[in-house]
Amino acid sequence: MYLWLALFFFIIGGLEAMVLRAQLALPNNELISPETYNQLFTMHGTTMIFLVLMPALIGLGTYLIPLMIGANEMAFPRLNAFSLWMTFMGGTLLYFSFFAGGGPDAGWFNYAPLSENNYSSSHGVDYYLIGLILTGIGSIGAALNFVTTVLTLRAPDMKLNMLPLFVWMMFINGFLILAAFPLLNAGLFMMLIDRQFDAHFFIPSSGGSAILWQHFFWAFGHPEVYILALPAFGIISEVIPVFSRKPIFGYKFVASSTVAIALLAFGVWVHHMFAVGMSNTVNGFFAASSMLIGIPTGIKVINWIGTMYKGSIRMTVSMMFALAFLIDFTIGGLSGASFAIVPIDWQLTDTYYVVAHIHYVFLGGTAFGIFAGIFYWFPKITGRHLSEKLGKWHLWLFVFGFNMTFLLQHMLGILGMPRRIYTYPDLPYWKILNLISSIGAIFMFVAIGIFLYNIFITLKKPRSAEDNPWEAWTLEWSTPSPPNLKNFEQLPPIHSRRPLWDLNNPDNPDKRLN
Amino acid sequence: MQFPDIEITERLFLYFGIVAFIIFVLVVFFINRFTVKYRDKGEIPVQSGGNEKFEVGMIIIAVCITTFFLVMTLMGMKSIQTIPDNPKADLNIIGHQWWWEARYTESGVLTANEIHIPVGEKILLGLTSADVIHSWWIPDLGRKLDMIPGMKSYMWLYSEKEGEFLGACSEFCGAQHARMRIRVIVQSREDFEAWEQGQLKEAKFSSDALFNRGKQVFEERTCTNCHSITVNQDSADIGPNLTHFASRKHFLSDMKENNKENLRAWLKDPQQVKSGAKMPNFIFPEEELEALVHYLSNLK
Repeated sequence: MYLWLALFFFIIGGLEAMVLRAQLALPNNELISPETYNQLFTMHGTTMIFLVLMPALIGLGTYLIPLMIGANEMAFPRLNAFSLWMTFMGGTLLYFSFFAGGGPDAGWFNYAPLSENNYSSSHGVDYYLIGLILTGIGSIGAALNFVTTVLTLRAPDMKLNMLPLFVWMMFINGFLILAAFPLLNAGLFMMLIDRQFDAHFFIPSSGGSAILWQHFFWAFGHPEVYILALPAFGIISEVIPVFSRKPIFGYKFVASSTVAIALLAFGVWVHHMFAVGMSNTVNGFFAASSMLIGIPTGIKVINWIGTMYKGSIRMTVSMMFALAFLIDFTIGGLSGASFAIVPIDWQLTDTYYVVAHIHYVFLGGTAFGIFAGIFYWFPKITGRHLSEKLGKWHLWLFVFGFNMTFLLQHMLGILGMPRRIYTYPDLPYWKILNLISSIGAIFMFVAIGIFLYNIFITLKKPRSAEDNPWEAWTLEWSTPSPPNLKNFEQLPPIHSRRPLWDLNNPDNPDKRLN
Repeated sequence: MQFPDIEITERLFLYFGIVAFIIFVLVVFFINRFTVKYRDKGEIPVQSGGNEKFEVGMIIIAVCITTFFLVMTLMGMKSIQTIPDNPKADLNIIGHQWWWEARYTESGVLTANEIHIPVGEKILLGLTSADVIHSWWIPDLGRKLDMIPGMKSYMWLYSEKEGEFLGACSEFCGAQHARMRIRVIVQSREDFEAWEQGQLKEAKFSSDALFNRGKQVFEERTCTNCHSITVNQDSADIGPNLTHFASRKHFLSDMKENNKENLRAWLKDPQQVKSGAKMPNFIFPEEELEALVHYLSNLK
């Protein structure tokens, strides 16, 4: 359900992006009005983050965590359903704004005072606030469920240090969500009170503080980046070892760097606000923490590459998406590190350089991870294999189009193009770079069409997938594809991180951990 | 010789770029090499699970790189953003939806959107906003700094080179964020002073009948409620000060060239030209429009 929800909103968010790129293809274009453009880019960002990536990752977690730890269900099945419908309601309310006088138009970051009544008089922002409060409650419920399930419903022999890395990362992620989303919801409620009951939390002209909103938003917003990244890291940490036929390189380092990221994630938010004009001391502290968080992330990349060393690599579509993730996420991670160097941030923040960066992280990172996960687990979930041939078309078109669209946007930012502008003057190079960028978007559009077609025709085929088509080692692959309603009749013995490996290689088992 | 702040930033970006490029090339190289060399041959490889010494070594290298950049960053920040205690700005810029108000402290000059500064002199900018958050950014002339309502921020503006430099509002500020651009004109000291003297003169009077008719329309049609035509520092500006409007080469935040044709189109239907702008449509009769355009384009 979560995955269908995500797919549905992915199509909507993608169509919004296509309109945006069409508007930006040429300088001084007047295809759509600035008001429409502002609503569309606000909705594109909000949709992709809260209604596509979040539900897609929560959906994979909800489906796979019980299977991977040998449990029959999530700890709180009703809370699970509640979370889903809250997310659905939030999304519906958000889009209802278009029928109630206009969508939200203050960006997904919704900065005050632009988002207050004086400057945004339609009800769009109210729907944004209520919609996100609901999806926020949904996410908190899901996180609570993840944490409880992992703590209480593991197979009796499975110790915490034997968790599959995907489960481990979703587990840590649960704590991140539990700490971050209440911050957002508190801010959202305060702004709702501002707008509906004339309070002044964020209105400077009557004693409030515009910067306070930014602190609330980014104290949530930066952990949110890792909330979206960690599950993708988890997927990659399952996919690469299986298709290299080798255990992950440095399990302990991958697992502990996740904890390091989760803790540091709460100490870096001001790097979104270096241009606000805070003192050098404050900025210096957050520069240091933002640089530090790059280290555990870099360690992960090294470990994934190390896993392939002396492996036996099978180039499936899932593995290829994982490799595309490695390369493009590295670009996103590196460009992100440049913002920690404050003087660079003072030039490049709020330019197209950031637009490029965020898409390398969320699309080249999280979304490629999700694609890898979908191709990997699709046979388990549906009992049918997605077509590898169509998958390769999807992969190559998407990776090509993605890099065509976003790589050059780094240059646009350096040339001085601010982000969130509905049109731009015909300055040297701006036109050609934007045009190339827009053409790249068409490739991605076609690729997603192929992906949808692939899902559609695969679901019409008869079920033919074996229990363990990839020769993987985690518990979900010991069930039939798709699993029975009660997941497990009987569990294999669990003595290491790879129970199915031990089962199939009794003469060469992994070291016993319990 | 460039502005030192920009030099610092460019040097940092160069160092960063070199390191980032090396890391990226290494990542791509190893991925490529491993996927070619260790392609599936149907054998089960040795099931090794990592190498702790290697990992610790990588962490130490990463910490060294990070420390280097942290030190460079802190030094860079200090030299770019050191503001005296109790700062007194030479030039105050106030952001509005969607134009820039400029107030020169010493001379008392008021202008908008086209900012003149003397070459080779460090100018302390005071930035704030009258409505929502804007952000000051001239890429060639220094850092970016947000303009926040209820708060005043300071930064240095400096150029070694004469010429015109373009910039743009860099924080999303509503419908016409895209068309909130700015132009800084860097002049020699003499030219700058001459410009200042010109700006300080009171609004022009003329015996030209059409000019006086335009002035009359300007006053009767409530234009003065938002736009001043005096250089009085106390005048509150809702719209740009127009005392010397015709001395500016562009208008509407660098959107249009300042000529009669564009001015006429704007006065006739502001929303057609710049939708969302705060200027209402006055539906001027043709005769008034003619006079107003003549009047405004003679305010030098």
